[in-house]
Amino acid sequence: MNNRVPKSLPAEIRPSLFSGHDWIALAIVSLTFVIPFTSTNPQVLSQTNLILIAATAALGVYIMQRLDLMSFAVPSFMAIGGYTVALLSMKLQLTDVFVLAAAAFLMPALCAIPLGALILRLKGVYFVLVTFVLTEIVQLLLFEAGPITGGSNGLVGMPAVKIFGMELWDNPHVLLTTCGLAFVSFIITSVFTRWFRSEFAAIETNDVLAESLGLAAWKYKAMAFSVAAGVSGLAGFALVNMLLTAHPSSFAPMSSVNYITYTIVGGKASILGTLIGALLLVSATDYFALSGEMSPGLFGLLIIVVTMVARGGVVGVVSGLLYRLAGQSPPLENGEHYLVVNGEKGQ
Amino acid sequence: MKLGLGRLVCGSLIASAGFVGAVSACELKIGVPAVLSGPAAQWGIALRGATEFVAKETMEEKRLVINGVACTVSVKSIDSKYSAEGAASATNAFAAEGIKVIIGPVGSPEVTGFKPVATRNRMVAMVNSFAKNSIGPEWPTVFHIGPGPSGWAAPIIDVGLQRYKFKTAAIVAPNDQGGTDIASVNADIFKQRGVTVTEEYYQRGTTNFAPIVTRIMASNAEALDLASSPAGDAGIIVKQIRQAGFTGPIFRLGGPGTDEIARVAGGLDILKDFLWYEPVYMDDNMRALEQKYEKLMGSVRPENSDFFRWTFAARMMIKAIQAAGTIDNAEKIAAAMRTLPVEDEHIGKGYWIGQKFFGINQEMSYPFAIGVIQGGVKQPLIRAEAVSEK
Amino acid sequence: MESFIATGLIGISLGTQYTLLALGFTLIFGILGVVNFAHGGFYVMGGYVAYYCNVILGLPYPVAVLMAMLSMAALGWLFEAFILERVIEDHQATLMVTMGFYLVMATAILMIFGAESPQFPFPVTGVWRLGGIYFPYANMIVLGACLAAIVFVYWLVYRTNIGRGMRAMSEDLPVASALGMRTKALFPFAFALATGLAGGTGALVTPILALAPHVGDSVLAFSFLTVILGGLGSVTGATCAAFIVGLIEAYAAVYLGGSKGALTLFALVLIILVVRPQGLLGREVRRS
Repeated sequence: MNNRVPKSLPAEIRPSLFSGHDWIALAIVSLTFVIPFTSTNPQVLSQTNLILIAATAALGVYIMQRLDLMSFAVPSFMAIGGYTVALLSMKLQLTDVFVLAAAAFLMPALCAIPLGALILRLKGVYFVLVTFVLTEIVQLLLFEAGPITGGSNGLVGMPAVKIFGMELWDNPHVLLTTCGLAFVSFIITSVFTRWFRSEFAAIETNDVLAESLGLAAWKYKAMAFSVAAGVSGLAGFALVNMLLTAHPSSFAPMSSVNYITYTIVGGKASILGTLIGALLLVSATDYFALSGEMSPGLFGLLIIVVTMVARGGVVGVVSGLLYRLAGQSPPLENGEHYLVVNGEKGQ
Repeated sequence: MKLGLGRLVCGSLIASAGFVGAVSACELKIGVPAVLSGPAAQWGIALRGATEFVAKETMEEKRLVINGVACTVSVKSIDSKYSAEGAASATNAFAAEGIKVIIGPVGSPEVTGFKPVATRNRMVAMVNSFAKNSIGPEWPTVFHIGPGPSGWAAPIIDVGLQRYKFKTAAIVAPNDQGGTDIASVNADIFKQRGVTVTEEYYQRGTTNFAPIVTRIMASNAEALDLASSPAGDAGIIVKQIRQAGFTGPIFRLGGPGTDEIARVAGGLDILKDFLWYEPVYMDDNMRALEQKYEKLMGSVRPENSDFFRWTFAARMMIKAIQAAGTIDNAEKIAAAMRTLPVEDEHIGKGYWIGQKFFGINQEMSYPFAIGVIQGGVKQPLIRAEAVSEK
Repeated sequence: MESFIATGLIGISLGTQYTLLALGFTLIFGILGVVNFAHGGFYVMGGYVAYYCNVILGLPYPVAVLMAMLSMAALGWLFEAFILERVIEDHQATLMVTMGFYLVMATAILMIFGAESPQFPFPVTGVWRLGGIYFPYANMIVLGACLAAIVFVYWLVYRTNIGRGMRAMSEDLPVASALGMRTKALFPFAFALATGLAGGTGALVTPILALAPHVGDSVLAFSFLTVILGGLGSVTGATCAAFIVGLIEAYAAVYLGGSKGALTLFALVLIILVVRPQGLLGREVRRS
């Protein structure tokens, strides 16, 4: 798949579909499949689970970042995905993991289309706020729609999901499900964002100009919002599956801040940044939780220090260093090829 | 990532080493998933303080002796953040260290996230939370430190009805599990006594309650129940409803925190007529316990008075471990616990209850107290006998 | 009718509080282009400084409010000059840094003052009543202070050289710098002004509501709501929006209940923004 070159642009402009960072990220995520088979340590299983769920959720932020939009809507779509799964498995006894994953992706993605039509006209901080308000609204709707969502008690007592009729109920199997969902999400996200990278880069740089040059910006924005919603929905599925409960507190509006932090601290330029950000910060949170009352403060300090020291995120700094050591200039990330070709980026 | 994997592997090695160590010598490690950050932090601090105290007490007085060896007891507390994920992740961390004995967590969302993980990892636990499903037959090794409003709201409402005349009441609580589960139980008990009830739910994070207060005033309620509204919120509600001209009695049927409510509201005069559930009756025995804490730990006990219930719960757990003669077999410890009488050196005798409300007889019921403020003056606590189901 | 008027008064009280918070928030955004996630932290810390001065040290309440404003202005100055200034070009980095600083502030308060609310009463008690309508005197004083703050901010922004400089910078930073504006001095000043306002608001409002380490959480959400609704960077817009939000919140909560009221408020804000994406009195959108 990586060797397919679109016919519309010459090969030197669209070199390969995936960059080095994409390959590393996908390799890491696929490596996690080993853990459920090799470890029985609950801490290792639970940490890997939490990291993968966090990274998958943060992909929703990463996708919208391609368009220079900062989205706080991740928990809303996670909730839609998670509750869809809980309802299907509890009310309709649908427990096949493929059916549930498809539902967890499609339901939020479909909901995102009419929503996107309303709010994608907004830019900058206005978009930030509207997505923030959206998570608050979803949280209140979960409470008000008690007969369907279980209100403040959530939906408890989901049956275990099944793959080819086999139950995935114990710790390693729950992690296996999460690994699968995370892998699918990373594949979808990297293919989607890399396939349209020049279009996204054009919109990110100047969407008015892009539109006047004939690029249907709204189409790409709507697609991105929809895919971001779908991926968040998969994260919601993984979270609900881990807790065996769809609970409104799992989708609290303020948790959106975490997902944004993972993406930015890790490095928003590549999908690897999202993964590394989630890995570092979830581990840090877990480590800080031991220091009790101090933990949020230590976390805050860490965010400040990383932001000040590592501009461009952890991944940006590390790969910059590596290339400097090797005596090369760093390769260009998403979409920058396009700009170089058009002579807009002169370094 | 190599580093990350390396750390995970290292972590598991260290963890399993710790596990082996725990088996050979008698070293009891108690896991405490306690909320230590955010608005509910004081609850977690009381839980952690009580467990650390009992651990020290057990060692100093050699209360836990297995196969002739006095056990060391240590406590590992992790911030469970008042969320299901936080508690689940803390519990997994305990499991990784081979910890089988858990005291906590405090809140409904935490207990929701905690129970499946604890059951999966064969742990025995003493939990709190006023949720309607805090314990149950699905979780046979999970015990409850004391009843929720189902156990004690009725006697308090009766005291209120003796002292004040009211036919209507309003209940106000936050619109999440911590609020609705208690408010609805309270509402049923009011209704059984012929009182008409309106329930008002507010969004957690609300800071100005004037609109809610206006609604309550418009409902012509003659009494108010703050249910489980956090103490800070409850204080503002009291302050604002008194400003609005409400003169009826105010109940607080949802846990301790009266001192803090009074501080926020602006003093006892503002509370005026106020009744609340107090986890323990403060008498010489309780003061002796306070002093023992100070002597042993070198500081004043945590302010939140759930400290006492957690102390009784942790001691009960130690007794059950002693009776079972094992520090890591949850089923045996749970079985031993069920056969032990509910009793504590400081508070006295109690009962196992819970069959009627939860379908499992694993809830400790101790004597509690009814707090009364009348005309702005704090009255002596009324001692209420332990609720029994027999 | 009485309850309608009483609800209106509640809406106005809410509006004054939101105005005080939104003014600082909108100044920081308008001038520095920074969404200050730490705004709530300065509010709470201002409350605790005032509490410490008034209750522990026994200073008169107005002095305590002044101390809260000054100390928070100083802290804001330091934070801007030494931390925020270094990442000011990158909007997302400023967001991370202010968010991190909020966590640090909230933790510091929890460690120093404990988790439970202290007693911090407003020096004036008593309630003005007319039939079923009532208005606590304390709320009137806060309303007065709010009006004074609005007048002060207007005077500063529209009548002084500093204000002209700040406005020029918010219109077009490169041009303003090219014309010789000293951004190095004006940025911390603007930030300090805003955090001082937040601290003063905390000192005024926490005694009539509650003082606890976490009360800053919801401040952020409402400042955000108000400022965006009013149009980012617009002082007049923020003031109008604050009262609109306050009134909608009051009427929705009173007539629909707490939970449905909040839903209505959020839904209305969503609709207004969809219809008028630049806010009520906003101008060209800045990127974040």
